[in-house]
Amino acid sequence: MNIGLPGAGVGGLYYLACTSFMPIKEIYLCLTKTEHKFRYRLVITQLGIACGIVLGLIAMYLLVSNVFGLNLSLADNSGGEKLWFYSLLPVVISLGLLMVLLGLIEVAAYLAKKNEALEDICRGGD
Amino acid sequence: MLDTSLPSQKTQNLKPDTDDLETNIKTALSGGALCPVTVIVPAYNEADCIADTVNSLLAQTLVAEEIIVVDDGSTDNTAEICRRLGVTVVTPPANTGSKAGAQNYALSQVKTSYILAIDADTTLKPDALEQLFSAMDDPEVVAACGFVLPQHVNTLWERGRYVEYLMAFTFYKQVQEYYEKPLISSGCFSLFRSDYLRQIGGWSLRTMAEDMDLTWTAYQLGKKVRFIPEAVCYPIEPRNFNFMRKQLKRWAHGFIQNVRLHRKGILKVPFLRSIVTVMCWDASIASIFYLTLIPILSVMVSPLFLLGYIIDLPMILVPTLVKAYSRGETWKALSSIPAFMVLRVLNSAIFLEALFKEVVLKKTLTSYEKGH
Repeated sequence: MNIGLPGAGVGGLYYLACTSFMPIKEIYLCLTKTEHKFRYRLVITQLGIACGIVLGLIAMYLLVSNVFGLNLSLADNSGGEKLWFYSLLPVVISLGLLMVLLGLIEVAAYLAKKNEALEDICRGGD
Repeated sequence: MLDTSLPSQKTQNLKPDTDDLETNIKTALSGGALCPVTVIVPAYNEADCIADTVNSLLAQTLVAEEIIVVDDGSTDNTAEICRRLGVTVVTPPANTGSKAGAQNYALSQVKTSYILAIDADTTLKPDALEQLFSAMDDPEVVAACGFVLPQHVNTLWERGRYVEYLMAFTFYKQVQEYYEKPLISSGCFSLFRSDYLRQIGGWSLRTMAEDMDLTWTAYQLGKKVRFIPEAVCYPIEPRNFNFMRKQLKRWAHGFIQNVRLHRKGILKVPFLRSIVTVMCWDASIASIFYLTLIPILSVMVSPLFLLGYIIDLPMILVPTLVKAYSRGETWKALSSIPAFMVLRVLNSAIFLEALFKEVVLKKTLTSYEKGH
């Protein structure tokens, strides 16, 4: 069951980020938990898919840039650095947006937890 | 391989009067071991597909103790077909009005420790139940779901759904499983602990997406839900626009209703709260950009902005092709990609409509319409 816009948006970026974090989590679990079994097959497969997606997106960008000349309207042709800046801008904005969203939900979760603890104390006082 | 012969052909050699008919059929068809599972199949006018569903259940490598088909006021011969196949048929006094209502009707008759919930239009890979059952080794697991693939991939909508499932179950759902929080234990095919279902009062009628409700409730109770990709099921997906619209509408309203219902509870569940947050953003704000900003910019500024509709193609293409290649269906998947793009636009539009109705107009969807 998918709702809305599967594939696009910060959701896709979120899953890519989660996949990138898998090997770090696995290594951490292996070092800290003696009974942990390294899920190398799942991690490698998902990492492979994530790498494929990133490479595909880069290829897509290059294709669009060269075939349609999309960067001409955005970049200063005289400066290569500026071109890269504009190219990376959507990625940076999306990542920033994702960070803000995740940050907000974590703050909301923290406040909800704190509020609940306060309510428990009040109830105890009664 | 699934038996695709007609129901009438299948029933010819059966002897309905035999006492241990069910056991005979199970032994004859599968030779599999019995497991403490009761299968609940809610059915409303499913004469066209119910025989395939029941036969695929009987042909499992692990055989359920009982199969209960809830004939929810069908006007066709659904019940008759099921009786001929040797499974238990129960009939509520009146149509329950929803899938969850029909499932709850059968819940009181379950004596086994596990319940398999399956749609009447869904067939299974022969080892699907066995694969799902393995998830229950962990006592904390209360529900398990499998990989979903459309039974038929012919029309535009079926093709769109085929790509959507290949992509979602190969990439998104696997990531969710890794972090131990699959978003939904799919309603079309899931295994549950009977005690858990009874504890929460059965399948909930308070939202249009009872599967999502069940899953999120489990997390809030500190229980686990698993996704087992090896357990494959094949539901019949909406084949035309009208049925697809009904299904998407129900899913969109169901999601919004669940977010509203569980908003406080899911804040306590790490990862789940993140997935739901990004999903809410993508489904609402990103959809508005997708359906309004891109067309406006393409008209006002440059037609090149239309590339926004395909710029994320690798995000869809890579996981889809990885799975399709392993199934030997690369061309079928590739040729279905445009259908997914169409389905995605419809999905976005229907979600925005549902959001407007639920949040702005406060018109909650309460009637259950079949998606096929």
